[in-house]
Amino acid sequence: MTTTTAAGPLAPFRVIDLTNELGQLAGRMLGDLGAEVIKLEPPGGDESRFIGPFRGDVVDPEHSLHWWTFNNNKLSATLDLTTPRGQELFGLLLDQADFLVETCPPDAAAALGLGVEAIRSSHPGLVHTSITPFGRDGPYANWKATDLVGTAMGGLSSLCGAPGRPPIRPTASQGYTQASAQAVVGTLIAHYQRTRTGQGQHVDQSMQEAVTFTHDNAMPTWDIRGVNNGRPGNGREIGGYKSGQYVYEAADGYVAALSYGGLFGLSARQTIDWLDHHGMAEDLTSDEWLAKLDATQGILIPPAGEDGDHLNDVLVKFCKRFTRAQLVSEAQQIRNGWGIVHTPKDLLENEHLAARDYWVEIEHEEAHVTYPGPWAKLSKTPLSVRHRAPHIGEHNDYVYGDLLELTDDAMTQLSDDGVI
Amino acid sequence: MPISTVFEGIRVADFAWVGVGPLVSKYLADHGAEVIRIESSVRPEPLRRAPPFVNDEPGLDNSGYYADFNSSKRCVSLNLQHPDGVAIAKRIIAECDIVTESFTPKAMRAWGMTYEDLCEIRPDLIMISMPMYGLTGPWAMWQGYGHVLQAAAGISHLTAYPGEEPIGTGVAYTDFLVPHFAASALLAALDHRQRTGEGQNIDFGQMEAAIHATETMVLDYTVNGREQEALGAGHADHAPYGTYQCAARGDDDDRWIAITVTNGAELTALARVAGQQSWTSMDAAALDAAIGEWTRTQQAEELMERLQNAGVPAGVVQTPEDLRNDPQLAHRGHFWMLDHPTMGHRAYDAPSFRLSETPAELTKAAPLLGEDNEYVYKDIVGMSDEEYVEHLVSGAFD
Repeated sequence: MTTTTAAGPLAPFRVIDLTNELGQLAGRMLGDLGAEVIKLEPPGGDESRFIGPFRGDVVDPEHSLHWWTFNNNKLSATLDLTTPRGQELFGLLLDQADFLVETCPPDAAAALGLGVEAIRSSHPGLVHTSITPFGRDGPYANWKATDLVGTAMGGLSSLCGAPGRPPIRPTASQGYTQASAQAVVGTLIAHYQRTRTGQGQHVDQSMQEAVTFTHDNAMPTWDIRGVNNGRPGNGREIGGYKSGQYVYEAADGYVAALSYGGLFGLSARQTIDWLDHHGMAEDLTSDEWLAKLDATQGILIPPAGEDGDHLNDVLVKFCKRFTRAQLVSEAQQIRNGWGIVHTPKDLLENEHLAARDYWVEIEHEEAHVTYPGPWAKLSKTPLSVRHRAPHIGEHNDYVYGDLLELTDDAMTQLSDDGVI
Repeated sequence: MPISTVFEGIRVADFAWVGVGPLVSKYLADHGAEVIRIESSVRPEPLRRAPPFVNDEPGLDNSGYYADFNSSKRCVSLNLQHPDGVAIAKRIIAECDIVTESFTPKAMRAWGMTYEDLCEIRPDLIMISMPMYGLTGPWAMWQGYGHVLQAAAGISHLTAYPGEEPIGTGVAYTDFLVPHFAASALLAALDHRQRTGEGQNIDFGQMEAAIHATETMVLDYTVNGREQEALGAGHADHAPYGTYQCAARGDDDDRWIAITVTNGAELTALARVAGQQSWTSMDAAALDAAIGEWTRTQQAEELMERLQNAGVPAGVVQTPEDLRNDPQLAHRGHFWMLDHPTMGHRAYDAPSFRLSETPAELTKAAPLLGEDNEYVYKDIVGMSDEEYVEHLVSGAFD
């Protein structure tokens, strides 16, 4: 396995990662930022190793693509936290750690040595981050939540889907993603404070509350207008006002042709010139239409209706005639912020991402695998994707031998006892 | 009342607009940094022109959309197109630790305010640029919005009813996703500066961060050659896993509950709550239909309580109104009520995490456009009264 030294801003720091799918991205983001992240797994392997899809669709705890995606840049050590000896080793590991990130259910935390007060008194310098469905306390604290329950209870699903049809969620789990990514922000705010004072603290992240962040303008719209934004289907809703369609079928897929401001966007006249250039402006070049479009320029989202329907019909016919790339590159030339609706294949073949060297190849025993690259380019302390996700207990020697300075005999005994 | 002073002494010149930038600087402002929004009435921040408006009256100081993203901040007005505009901006930056911006790259280049330019004024500066597609590459100058970027990043491809067009979420989704990545990069860079004295530049391409929110979509393609498809509310490995319509609440017939089952114990519990033992051996489609029939007779909140008490992960599909009344969010103090000079007593979102020792403190409502001109230009930049009036009259502060 390839390893390169982390040059990221968190390179001096060590993270103990006890997360399941709710929080795995948090540990990985800290690893991407350069921290040494030690994932602690139960001796049989972490439960998220059994989340699909799998390489070749064969279930294998070393071949979960979920595990691979969220655990690269991490090391693995096995540890049974339910044993007294396991608890003792856990305490010794925390002595050498700067961060603890865990997703333990609140009602199980104390028994696993993850109580907030217990950790604060034994490790006052540690930044301890808990990621749970609803937060560490409160009336729903011990309720269970999957990603869909998180997107529902946090409000995103009520804004997602079409009117009169069931609310949906993004199929890639956004409750987990939001909880993890926001937990990193809270963790780093606590870390900054520690750099100044030497004192750690507890960071209590709720998935539900993280999802609430995604309401867009729905909360002030309720607060001010007493109106619930709803599910706009192929459209959007601002301030309780619905707009028309914005995803259009092109000759080879879909484009997101969002116009902002006025009936036909801020570049309405240029857009009509563009349609006219292709002979598809229909009656929009008439003085009557131009006057109508000019008159709505100051209005952010004019009501839909007959005029909107007509403009939509023109665009539907226009977009079907051209490829996505042609539509979007020509739209961008007249400052319409259109974009391509990318499929996975499109993204991997995308010229812009390639030009920015976005993708990284990581070596696995089985193959070289292409992964998404760093999510920010820092000029002095670059983020990096250094190595693949670990095998079960792959770094036990490093963690227990080098860090905790246990003898080989002691480690063998722990292994025989099922502790590691 | 604990007061957050984490970023005491940190000053931010915030040139960013709409969602991504202001939501990054909000994290800093709500934890004690002095964030100065630099805006102009000549080309107003678009969200100041976006509804909802109090009393439905459009006005630059009357948008709830803008207000929610800009708690705890200051604001100056400055016309960067004015002959003195850029020079004044640089005098503000000289007093700042961080510069944030989210224009396409040509804007800061045209003004001579790239990281390289600004380093000459402030060598330890941290600057984060957050354009849609990053500072370089063939699409660098492309514009866009969060609705479009969720499509470009692959999220819309995975947000649709099965087999139908990719509608994406109903929100400008990436505006509420990538700020966490940007803030994480910025905070790590700030910590690095605190320890080493070294500032740096951050080229934050929004699309590149957003792709990290597609879970296994990339690897399923690069390893298995499979293009994942949208599943509506559903899940590739679990069933039942969906949203089901409940009984009307008053005249509101749009009440839904999410019910999800991830193992046999949860299925047994669901069947027990419904009083339908046959559900444990029913095929997935029939079970889905049976659950939907049952929930139509159930009140959503009551059913959620019963299912959760039985150990089934379930939750109401909460509307904005529901969120304002949610006891868990209330327990965590999510919504802060703040007084705004023109908008009145309004609800603001706090960060979603609770720090035990230095929790967020939303110190004030969103700033009026130019509210802090005198303080910033005189007390921070050091303009004399005469100079201040001169710039005011010349239109530099428009």
